[in-house]
Amino acid sequence: MRRVFWGAIWLSGLLVLGGCDAGDSGAGDAVAVADVVADVQPDLPPVSPREVELVAVSPTMQRLTRAQYTRAVHDVLGAHIVVPQTLEPDTTSEGSRAVGSGLATISPRGAEQYEAAAFQIASQALSADKRAALAGCAPAAAGARDDACARAALGPVVKRLWRRPVAATELDELVAISGTAADTLGDFWEGLQFGLATALQAPAFLFRIENGEADPEHPGQLRRTDWELASRLSFLLWDATPDDALLAAAEAGELTTSDGLEREAMRLMASPRLRDGLRAFAEDWLELHDIAEMQKDPTLFLHLSPELVAAAKEETLLGFEHMVLELDGDFRDLFTTRETFLDRTLAALYDVPAPGPEGMTLTTLPETSTRRGLLGQASFLALRSHPTSSSATLRGKFIRERFLCGEVPIPPVNLSTGLPPVTEDALTRRQRSEAHNSEPGCNGCHIMMDPMGLGLERFDGLGRMRWTENGAIIDPTGDVDDVPFADESGLAEVLAKAPELPGCFVQQVYRYAAGRLDGKAEAELLEALTRQFATDGFRVKALLVEIFMSPGFRRIGPPATAVEVSE
Amino acid sequence: MKRRELTRRTVLKGLLGGAVATFALPPLECLMGTSGQAWADGTGLPVRFGLFFWGNGVLPKRWIPAGNGPEWEVSEQLAPLLELGVKDQVTVLTGMNMLLENINPHWSGAAGWLTGKPLIDTDDHDTFAGPTIDQMIAQKIGGSTRFRSLEVGIEAKRGQSFSAANTRNPIEKSPHGLYERVFGVGFTKPGDEVTVDPRVGLRRSVLDAVLGQANRLKADLGANDALRMEQHMESVRELELRLARMQENPPALDACVVPAAPTGVFVDEDAQIHLADTNRAMCDLLALTLACDQTRVFSNWFSDPVSNVQFPGGAAGYHQLTHEDPGEQEEVHKAAVQIVAQYGYLVKALKSVPEGDGTLLDRCAVLGTSDVSRGLNHGAENIPVLIAGSAGGRLKAGIHHASPTGANIHRVMLTLMRAMGIPQASVSQDEAFTTEGVSGIEV
Repeated sequence: MRRVFWGAIWLSGLLVLGGCDAGDSGAGDAVAVADVVADVQPDLPPVSPREVELVAVSPTMQRLTRAQYTRAVHDVLGAHIVVPQTLEPDTTSEGSRAVGSGLATISPRGAEQYEAAAFQIASQALSADKRAALAGCAPAAAGARDDACARAALGPVVKRLWRRPVAATELDELVAISGTAADTLGDFWEGLQFGLATALQAPAFLFRIENGEADPEHPGQLRRTDWELASRLSFLLWDATPDDALLAAAEAGELTTSDGLEREAMRLMASPRLRDGLRAFAEDWLELHDIAEMQKDPTLFLHLSPELVAAAKEETLLGFEHMVLELDGDFRDLFTTRETFLDRTLAALYDVPAPGPEGMTLTTLPETSTRRGLLGQASFLALRSHPTSSSATLRGKFIRERFLCGEVPIPPVNLSTGLPPVTEDALTRRQRSEAHNSEPGCNGCHIMMDPMGLGLERFDGLGRMRWTENGAIIDPTGDVDDVPFADESGLAEVLAKAPELPGCFVQQVYRYAAGRLDGKAEAELLEALTRQFATDGFRVKALLVEIFMSPGFRRIGPPATAVEVSE
Repeated sequence: MKRRELTRRTVLKGLLGGAVATFALPPLECLMGTSGQAWADGTGLPVRFGLFFWGNGVLPKRWIPAGNGPEWEVSEQLAPLLELGVKDQVTVLTGMNMLLENINPHWSGAAGWLTGKPLIDTDDHDTFAGPTIDQMIAQKIGGSTRFRSLEVGIEAKRGQSFSAANTRNPIEKSPHGLYERVFGVGFTKPGDEVTVDPRVGLRRSVLDAVLGQANRLKADLGANDALRMEQHMESVRELELRLARMQENPPALDACVVPAAPTGVFVDEDAQIHLADTNRAMCDLLALTLACDQTRVFSNWFSDPVSNVQFPGGAAGYHQLTHEDPGEQEEVHKAAVQIVAQYGYLVKALKSVPEGDGTLLDRCAVLGTSDVSRGLNHGAENIPVLIAGSAGGRLKAGIHHASPTGANIHRVMLTLMRAMGIPQASVSQDEAFTTEGVSGIEV
């Protein structure tokens, strides 16, 4: 059973009516979507996502990701610092590190790593040539404690690390630790390292904690505080800790006003640092995290090299940045565009001339190229494959789940999952899996994946084009929920027009922004966001604005209590 | 990504499930010897637990040995045990079934077998519901060494050692990294006087402050987050204990030889892992880590469930092979043999360290196991179980124990915990609940 997001159905209708500019992607195929709309006549109130009535969801504490930790250290303590990368690995949930960060704890090994990192960082931050600038004061005597100087040095730094005001008692404790260490070691600066290392191991740094405050506009309910909004905004848009200006806006109480929030958000959006945020999202959305550890058989894939793997990831991230920032285009064009960024290694894999002598260069693949969009990129094709071969099922599964938000049931156990061997009658993967899928126990699920994934079979396990398999011509036809396509290019076009695609994307962005799965209470908000996304021409920047101006971003529920646990 | 929604129940069930056995009890000093005591005659030497895990099972038909009890012949897949000269130290258990519900291919098996609890959410395997067997044991016997436990991985991406739900213990994948961690800064050779570093005491006061902060913050957190904060605090407490150990003089240990730093290339320029070389270096280091009593519990995650580890000369990744290798699955067989050889090397490494009047292996129990019996159909009946070493004479080593009618695999878990000196009354739940171990391998 296909799960259709009713907001998506509605916006498809919008396209049919020509109610929005679908851009030049040709994504608004009236015939295909009209079929879907014909069955459903939703009576939708046109509520703006900013006005949706929402029962706000309880806060979820997020652990900083490795990237966020590193960036926070660079921003607050200096870009020169070499941050150890042996930190607790990011936790993944539902394929997302953002969602995983809302579940993660700190393991014993993690505590050990954070401790070691804290001292390595503190030592670099307070090295002889950097300490004066960071501290802004000098101790009365270098060989002993100076609480006044320690306080002056730590106060502003810790406020930025903790992303909130530091209570007097909290600062007292850090000053006392620094003082004791300075006396013990006979060195003020070494002592200060202990105070700073404490702040770096503090849960207030490692976790993004939100408690909310009384919401004057919704008596009896909570909203995010200015400080909490500052963090949420900054981590969403820059994947980084708030800068001084944002903290100043929080201090002035401006972020809890609509005008103030929008002004600061637009400032962050206008910054080049938005690229960091977009890249972090795209990496999470497309699950590119572990691409460097991808295991492939180098004897089969002669193009394989660390440079190629790095370039493949970069191609995807740069393409997403380009679409959002330079083009501010319809996000569905990500699937159909022939513009992409290639270096020499990728150009060789794609069998096109290298666009530039070195580095990644924006280029346009030939008009005749059936390789287009995200589904034609090596990052997707290689990651959703086996070490020695392609996988129509893995590719189809990713499309179904990540782009269409469909739910593919887990395969049953104790079912023979073997594919028949290569024979004269079954040379290609399609022929072999057709035999497999003729079994009723298999077909029910594989039909959700394989008809899409088989359309990409002319890309091998690394993403190189091929025309035959075991001597037989590969058939690249297939369908997306009964909408047929002729080849990989056609798949890209059909997928870009799939009615579930925009609503699914909104859901992914929302989960990323929230650091958790969306709750049932947020369904109406997601629908409103999806409608607005369509109205705004499916532009990602416009979607981000609507998300952070929405009550889902600004309001918060009370802390979950054990009493609320129920079936 | 699925359209599943977050419910508090899901999250809390997991966290609460994991919290039950989370907090370390004082070590069983009477059984283990204390860290201040030398073991001159070997009788007071500690027992140790090791886990060697690989994903995707074996081919049971070519795995099960002929014979029973002490008289048995290695099967085709177990042949490396004989070749490596460790057959007489390895007990093979066959007919062991994972009786918890087997719904999620690979992951029901891994989670159920290793934790005694079903997956929190059968669609999801990002976390198990509670501590895995290595951590259940570490939480009881790991308290008196510098490291409560150590987790390493060869091909595994993440490893599956959990201290509690959502607290996965990251694996060390580099032999260099393991060496630095154990024998680098902070290591004092047993018998040497510790160099008193005032920084260690200061670091402990930092951790005290962190614990205080966490405790204050916890008060305002929701139930889920409070549990997560408590888990963080538990980790910090463990680190503090480790720092305390660093201020004590470690007792002399005859078996302890400080190794040289590993040399060699373990990952090639194409990011492909040299499996056997890496495993060999890791196992050699683990053996000396135990001999120097830096930890008493380790896990070596050779590969994760669903891993596509590809062996040199293999036609495809192991997971893909289990599903696509036709007929008798010769390729799967060859891969399984290579995996057993990696386990065998670990056993051999432990056996090569003299300790007391025998070898280090004598005081170990090293469980070698997987998530399924046969990868092809994700069966949970006849999951491969190997146990090397006699845990200081508490287990029968070198026998084939066959359960012809199929036995609850969690009896093995209980036997192993008891062999580690833990007075455990029962393990697991539902169909798999048991108060009885595998008496046939107990002494």
